[in-house]
Amino acid sequence: MLATPSDAQPAASAALSAAERQRYARHLSLAEIGEAGQARLRAARVLIVGAGGLGCPAALYLAAAGVGTIGLVDFDRVEESNLQRQVLFTSEDIGELKAERACARLAALNPGVQLIAHAIELCAANVRETFAPYDLIVDGSDRIGTRYLVNDACVLYGKPLVSAAIHRFEGQAMSYVPGRGPCYRCLFPEIAEGTLPSCSQAGVLGVLPGVLGSLQATEAIKLLLDIGAPLLGRVLVYDGLSMRFDEFRIARRAECAVCGDHPSIHAPQDPPGFCTVEEQRRVPRLLPRELAAALARESGSLRLIDVREPEEFARGHLPGAINVPLPRIEQQGFAAAQAAPCDEVARERLVFICRSGARSLRACALLRRSAGREVLQLEGGLLAWREAVDPTLAL
Amino acid sequence: MTQVHIASPLRDYTHGASPVRAEGATLAQLLADLDRRYPGIRFRMIDEQQRIRPHIRIFVATREARDLAQPVAAREPVHLLCALSGG
Repeated sequence: MLATPSDAQPAASAALSAAERQRYARHLSLAEIGEAGQARLRAARVLIVGAGGLGCPAALYLAAAGVGTIGLVDFDRVEESNLQRQVLFTSEDIGELKAERACARLAALNPGVQLIAHAIELCAANVRETFAPYDLIVDGSDRIGTRYLVNDACVLYGKPLVSAAIHRFEGQAMSYVPGRGPCYRCLFPEIAEGTLPSCSQAGVLGVLPGVLGSLQATEAIKLLLDIGAPLLGRVLVYDGLSMRFDEFRIARRAECAVCGDHPSIHAPQDPPGFCTVEEQRRVPRLLPRELAAALARESGSLRLIDVREPEEFARGHLPGAINVPLPRIEQQGFAAAQAAPCDEVARERLVFICRSGARSLRACALLRRSAGREVLQLEGGLLAWREAVDPTLAL
Repeated sequence: MTQVHIASPLRDYTHGASPVRAEGATLAQLLADLDRRYPGIRFRMIDEQQRIRPHIRIFVATREARDLAQPVAAREPVHLLCALSGG
């Protein structure tokens, strides 16, 4: 059932305390917010999908603004290459769960905010219960399949959504409120996973998600307070190189598969090739020292597959490893590994490797059933290998 | 000549340039000319059945164009929009 627009606006409860009046004094001076609006923000519950480039600045501003409850969904761990743009994390956080570290940082910023870490991979099986306690969803995910999952769930469960995406120097943002205009599928009806390049492939200016994430926080606050003109039926395009903002009108499509007149999507769906956290937990792992011992003992029966991007692989890799980037595995499955120029087909055990262990875990979970042989993961990735086995490995 | 703003994922074809210029009285003619200047860019937007691909949107001024026969005035900029997935 679709929600009415007022569903985005939480009910304000008790008056602000003296400390809250002091903290939010600049908001209280704004006629559009005032004490009633601030109390409404305190009562609001916002879920941010993805604690990455977009999610970090959006969460910072929403926490600073006094949104009472903020949830963060991210199952990934902090990597060094995240720190160029994911401003909630520090060098000390490398290897830690993003959702948990983000919540710790936000709690330090504003102890008055209730923070909930959802260190899960969002999927069709958990999206309903994950979204249920929240008034509004902010999408900062980095996969097109997750974008559709989030959009469809918002349409089906009647949740307002603030969406943004980035690439190199360009960003896009739009909002959706049930019953008040087009959804993400009206703009882009269907996109196969792997069609679009990711930030790890194409690169991204570090400050770009700061601009777009801040726009998302602005939109979320406007929707929660029912002020201003939100990005409904409009997509905002920002080009950091030419320093332009362009705006385009988009209409709801009667043929939209989820919000159209005759929808064919009646429940959120997982993208093709999706694997759950549970499937990832079942992946057998090798510690760096175990792998070193196995290579010394039986290197002939092991094939090392490094799933990082080619530029990362070129900087340094384990002897004998072949490079099959994760996006290729996601697109082509086991055929990607088989197409690699080597004799791995004859070998019995495949060991998947990446920088910290996140990408290789996903590759293993995807291929376990189709590989027809033992599939293992190097736990902790090459960072752990460098610490335990070879400190000279260049990464 | 029409000014054409190129979406970030398509700028590999224009050597990073945006906006660029192309000629054509209709969207179909404009995209054909764009492809002559930047070979391969049209196929990234238009499929074999001459349909706009689902991850591409084309705007003439600020209006969405769904038909390649749509007329294009030289003074109206064309924006090529591509879905982005980065976060």
